[in-house]
Amino acid sequence: MGGIGKYRSMARTSIEIWFTYRTTFVLNMIGSIFYVFAMFYLWQTIFLGSPGALAGFTWPEMKAYLLVSFVLSSLMPWFAEWNMSMDLKEGRIAIDLARPIDFQASRFASAVGPVPFEFGSAVAIGAVVAFVFGGIALPVDGAHAAVFLVSAVLATLIKFGLVYCVSMTAFWTTGTDGITVGRVAVQNLFSGALIPLVFFPDWLRALAAVLPFQGMVSTPALAYLGKMDAPTTALMLGVQAFWAIGLILLGRLAWRGAQRVVTINGG
Amino acid sequence: MPLIEARGLTKKFRQAVKEPGLVGSLRHFFTRKYRDKLAVDHIDFSVEAGESVAYLGPNGAGKSTTIKMLTGILVPTSGSLIVDGLVPHEKRQQNARNIGVVFGQRTQLWWDIPVVESFNLARDMYEIPVKRYRDNLAQFTEILGLAEFMNLPAAKISLGQRMRADLCMALLHDPKILYLDEPTIGLDIAVKDSIRGFVRSRVEERGTTVILTTHDLGDIEDICKRIVIIDNGRIIHDGDLAALKDTYARDRVIHFQLARPPESTALICAGLPTCETTTDGLRLSVRFDRFKFAAGEIAAAVMPHVEVVDFRIDEPEVEDLIRKVYLGQLNLSTPESAGAPETGELAGA
Repeated sequence: MGGIGKYRSMARTSIEIWFTYRTTFVLNMIGSIFYVFAMFYLWQTIFLGSPGALAGFTWPEMKAYLLVSFVLSSLMPWFAEWNMSMDLKEGRIAIDLARPIDFQASRFASAVGPVPFEFGSAVAIGAVVAFVFGGIALPVDGAHAAVFLVSAVLATLIKFGLVYCVSMTAFWTTGTDGITVGRVAVQNLFSGALIPLVFFPDWLRALAAVLPFQGMVSTPALAYLGKMDAPTTALMLGVQAFWAIGLILLGRLAWRGAQRVVTINGG
Repeated sequence: MPLIEARGLTKKFRQAVKEPGLVGSLRHFFTRKYRDKLAVDHIDFSVEAGESVAYLGPNGAGKSTTIKMLTGILVPTSGSLIVDGLVPHEKRQQNARNIGVVFGQRTQLWWDIPVVESFNLARDMYEIPVKRYRDNLAQFTEILGLAEFMNLPAAKISLGQRMRADLCMALLHDPKILYLDEPTIGLDIAVKDSIRGFVRSRVEERGTTVILTTHDLGDIEDICKRIVIIDNGRIIHDGDLAALKDTYARDRVIHFQLARPPESTALICAGLPTCETTTDGLRLSVRFDRFKFAAGEIAAAVMPHVEVVDFRIDEPEVEDLIRKVYLGQLNLSTPESAGAPETGELAGA
């Protein structure tokens, strides 16, 4: 695979491209702000109907949960939209394959480069929303904040692993649009991005627990709020790490298979 | 040992067979039918280091498939392929360091960033030593005239500029082998010349091995000494360009512009056996085998009988040759049987 210098350069390049398209990014963010406001008003109404805590969530905690969900979903948005079937159809993939780079590592470098900037922008927007809605709960102490950051990093790795695996299906099917829509729907439900998992009926929660998605929003959000005790936290971080590594390895395996199939679609 | 060696190299694609129309689509949805297509069918060839080879064939003949196997992008169905001691698809990344690739149809430059930054990225991807990178970049920038658009993003430059930049990028790491897949498609004459000249200088000065696919015969004559022609996945010709011309394009035609219409060509014909003489108003044309007659001899035989105002000589174009090969009018696999009568119809446009 060689040194990692080349991947650092690719990450730097993708940051540069990110800045070229920052207007698009900001417009996308503005779109999602409307969504965040809608979620806030919805939950506000629910909490007004039942003062105090709902399934252990107070209103300030719920606000924090929604904003953590918003920030995490703002990371790697382009990578998530990245459509491998387009690359395949247009033959762009041939150019990547003619280079001395590892395919997955190069995709990771391009996806991860702009993440700090995406994170910064999303936090800034989140802070404004939080201000408008009278503040949110903050991590109780530095240790919880640190655990949250670790969990958020793992969440991003899971997202990368998952999207990469899904995009690999482009080698076997003619289009991945339908698969992408399906992934987003399942992911939004089972990650806890729409509704915290504690609100789920038992059987659905049991299902969510064995899927990789909860590590994408629920785990980091609960870590932020300090809703897990130390052993649970350790276990959940472990589960996140398991899925992150597992999905990335699965992606490598799929790629190996795909290289043989590319022979069928190529030409 | 040859630099590139292919033995029985084969690539089979599975194609979905679909009947036309909605019913066909529906039927295909339930009962998928496939047909195997042999894109490359047991081909053998070898290329020595420093050779420049034109790899030709009609659209869909298997050229691109071969190039993609050579670059390690496609995995062969069967047969063996060794490029510089490596099996390309097994050691794809290692193979990639030894090769430069230019696809005329698509760019390897990053669309949104300045051209020079794409080059810098190539430096890091290929781990080119800084000094070598600087020297190469300075040299290529000058030869290819890249300076004026070096700081523009690829999206903002013209096709001709893009191709020059692509060629530069493909050669920054001094690859042993350069694959050019239709490198001059859609370019104007000046840019074509610049690109051909640059590639030729790499072959002559650096000993770079070049494999070129093209539909532009000018590319071949300027760059390549050898041509390999593939059709329906099989190699139908592999040999020296000059020898091909000598064998199949021996005829020349001299056209004389006359002051007055000739009274008779009988005398001229008598002086030029085996030549074919035709007249058309004020024009007199003589077709001759250049190994039997020199152009001067033809002129000397014609001049005493008519008053010549002007004349020119037509050389048969490689293009005509190749066209006949594609159309199956010329059987290159049995050169012994191809005699003068067949070559007779080749010359002249």
